[in-house]
Amino acid sequence: MKCPRCVQVIHRGAGLCPHCGFGMADMDARHGTENVSLRRLADMAGLMRSRERVSVLAALDRFCRKFPQLFFAVYTGSGQGGGNLRQFGFWLLNRAAFEDVPVERPNEGGILLVIDAESKSASLSWGYLLDPFLKEEDTFLCLSRAHAYWLEGRFAEGTIRLLAQLEKILRRRAQQARRDPERFERKVAPPVKSGEIARRIREGHRQASPSPKEVVE
Amino acid sequence: MPSWSAEDRKALAKGELIPGQVLLDGDAAEALPVSPEVPGPTDEEIAEAEQSSPRVAEKFLEAYFGERPAAFLVDPQQLLGTKETREREEFLKYHSGDSEIDLYVYLFDGHQEIPSEVREEEVVERFFSSGKPAVVAYYYLGAPQKTEIQVSPGLGGMVSAAEQRRALSSSVEEALEKPDAYAQLEAFCVQLSIRIYWMERAAGLVGEAPVVPVAVRAKSSPAPKEVSPVVAQAKEWALRYGPPAGIMAGAILIVVAGVVIARRRMRYEFPVFEVSPRLGGSHAAGIGAVISFGSTTQSPSSQRNEVPDYLGL
Repeated sequence: MKCPRCVQVIHRGAGLCPHCGFGMADMDARHGTENVSLRRLADMAGLMRSRERVSVLAALDRFCRKFPQLFFAVYTGSGQGGGNLRQFGFWLLNRAAFEDVPVERPNEGGILLVIDAESKSASLSWGYLLDPFLKEEDTFLCLSRAHAYWLEGRFAEGTIRLLAQLEKILRRRAQQARRDPERFERKVAPPVKSGEIARRIREGHRQASPSPKEVVE
Repeated sequence: MPSWSAEDRKALAKGELIPGQVLLDGDAAEALPVSPEVPGPTDEEIAEAEQSSPRVAEKFLEAYFGERPAAFLVDPQQLLGTKETREREEFLKYHSGDSEIDLYVYLFDGHQEIPSEVREEEVVERFFSSGKPAVVAYYYLGAPQKTEIQVSPGLGGMVSAAEQRRALSSSVEEALEKPDAYAQLEAFCVQLSIRIYWMERAAGLVGEAPVVPVAVRAKSSPAPKEVSPVVAQAKEWALRYGPPAGIMAGAILIVVAGVVIARRRMRYEFPVFEVSPRLGGSHAAGIGAVISFGSTTQSPSSQRNEVPDYLGL
């Protein structure tokens, strides 16, 4: 878990980044506190043709069918977030209200792709539901799949390739989670308090020492 | 016929004489009467025998040269057996039906000679001037090299003497390759029949029939190609294991198709864990990679953006 601004590792449940003090309030102050109404495919920068949008939407639908808890959204803009895509993606996924996503799929199960045509960069953000199952490296792999297409301006094809790669990763993770859910649960379990650790150590010591009765005998 | 003498009868009745006893005792040679020595033939006699009747006997001349022959094979001396005569006759009849020029074969013995008073060309002129054109061969059984041929007067003007000579020599060569006299006659007739076809062409007697035999593709199926052992083995296996293999392949195909369909219909769900919100985000705080696609010469890894965004604000 990293801070969107300083990209430093932060602990679970941190209200603000301990390194740079970044929080949602900073982004709200910049972009507003109101929810933003969007559709899953919001091609604000006009990077895709209408026919290509249809194919991308079909891929988004297929993703939704495969993963009943999740949805994938695409946002293309120009100069969004002042070129700071991590922070913008973080803010948008928290403030967006996706019109074409059923209410039983909250943004916790959302994955947002932000493409900035001006800075020619793209980023991926995800909701809390996927916190245990997705890593930064996974998203880099997905973006790499789309990279060659985006270089040629084929944004729709690149996005579809990205989705296919993401599906592959998530399928594997879902199977692993079904076999061994504890492994993933440990990643997001709340941090243990220091007093709790001391208590466990003491309990462990008591269990290990033999009882006086056993010694007498 | 030998007859029993009275003494022998008595001896036989008494058992004193056993018929053939002389032969069984091995004294047959002694018992056989010795024939008186016969003197061998003298050289003159041998020479005379060799020169005996070199001319065709007078009695056959009329049959040979008295009239136009009724059959294609003229053999009043009956030099050929019945079977051979019938076969040659059939062949010559077949030739006559198939050709515009008849073939007559006058048969003589190998050592015979046609009397000098008989002129073969005159005979041909006399009997073959009218009617169907014909080639007349004076064939000497066992000595095909003595054979002569004459053509009917009408044909003589159309077929050159050179062509006639070639036909004769070709036929004689064919005949000489055969070991016995009858086979020689057969080969001679066949070859001369072939050569007569060319005479027909030279004489312009061939009708609308194709001048050159046209090669026609046989309608029957082509001869089977030689099959290599590997291919034969493969065919054998295909015959033996083909049906079960087909069923197995079908079953595998169905299973694979079923797996593909099942995977397509499969839904993937994740266990939901309680995650504490962070950085004030109510729904999400998962930060993934940022990649730039501004340069076509650099790899995606080198265009990965991991720089802190301090200066972005």
